[in-house]
Amino acid sequence: GGYTQSPGGFGSPAGTQAERKQRIRSQNIVPCTVSQLLAAEQVDETFRIRDVEISQVTIMGIIRHAEKAPTNILYKVDDMTAAPMDVRQWVDTDEAGGENVVVPPGTYVKVAGHLRSFQNKKSLVAFKIMPLENMNEFTTHILEIVNAHMILRKNLMSASRVPQSFSSAGIGDVGGYGGGGSLPVNGLTAHQSQVLNLIKNCPVPEGMSLQELKLQLHNMSMSTIKQAVEFLSSEGHIYSTVDDDHYKSTDAE
Amino acid sequence: MEDVGEVPRPRIATGHLAQHIGQPVCFVGRVEKIHPTGKLFVLSDGEGKHTTVELSEPLDEEISGVLEVVGRVTNQATIMCMSYVQFREDKSPFDLELYNEALKIIHEFPEYFPFG
Repeated sequence: GGYTQSPGGFGSPAGTQAERKQRIRSQNIVPCTVSQLLAAEQVDETFRIRDVEISQVTIMGIIRHAEKAPTNILYKVDDMTAAPMDVRQWVDTDEAGGENVVVPPGTYVKVAGHLRSFQNKKSLVAFKIMPLENMNEFTTHILEIVNAHMILRKNLMSASRVPQSFSSAGIGDVGGYGGGGSLPVNGLTAHQSQVLNLIKNCPVPEGMSLQELKLQLHNMSMSTIKQAVEFLSSEGHIYSTVDDDHYKSTDAE
Repeated sequence: MEDVGEVPRPRIATGHLAQHIGQPVCFVGRVEKIHPTGKLFVLSDGEGKHTTVELSEPLDEEISGVLEVVGRVTNQATIMCMSYVQFREDKSPFDLELYNEALKIIHEFPEYFPFG
């Protein structure tokens, strides 16, 4: 997992520059406990956990109950921090079966979705529900929750008003870019930022190729470039175009 | 059988049992031994310390590996089990020691990992 800053991702409409900047903060995907989600306060369309704005979240827990309806599957996901949370997953009714298989109760899952509140009851609308294959991911998730909320709160307390996101590589991989020991800007290391900037500024429709990146980035080996590209792609900053060697930035200027 | 599935169940290790007498908890540990009656078994936590888990009905299946037990801590600092789940280890072994370290973190920072 990771905490993505992806303006324009997941179908959010492009607004004015100011609106996009404001929405960027709540485009982070934040790992949370069910108890944190239940305690989140809502002001208009925004949710805040201890003053930190959240929208897209991930939770991990065990499925206690699963109910299939024609258009959606309703799960109850339990992470022990509170009562199980309602998680709704919309079913694509055009697909002939298969795509949305009900995950059986007793399965540990990772859920990524949007926090919703209706008639004072909180729930999640999931865009991804994945059974855990490796329970060590659960341990990692616990640590990521503490890390994320601690960092988000620190950012809030500091004078900086710049929206920050942060990657899971940040645990133990701090200090790539900014001043001594501070978080890398945008959650990217220096290498990743360089690669991303080059790709962003490439005007060609099919985007930038790995070979062109290697030509421009003399200090980086091809394997370092490939690692950066893979990371940026998995975080949603870039996408491949004509083939796996060409990439464009998702942040259309 | 009471349903503790709707309340917060703090994740604890053996060392925390004494502080949670009478309360619902969640305990993850490795199966060490099972009593012949099937109504009692022993789990070890990430530090190797043992916790006794009691059942109101005898086990109706084989248990082994890492178990996550939900139950209430008795006056004797054992856990009266309400439900349990086996952690899958078919693809990768579960690092119980790392989980124990994570427990230390969440106990140190309850404001960032609240139970309830």
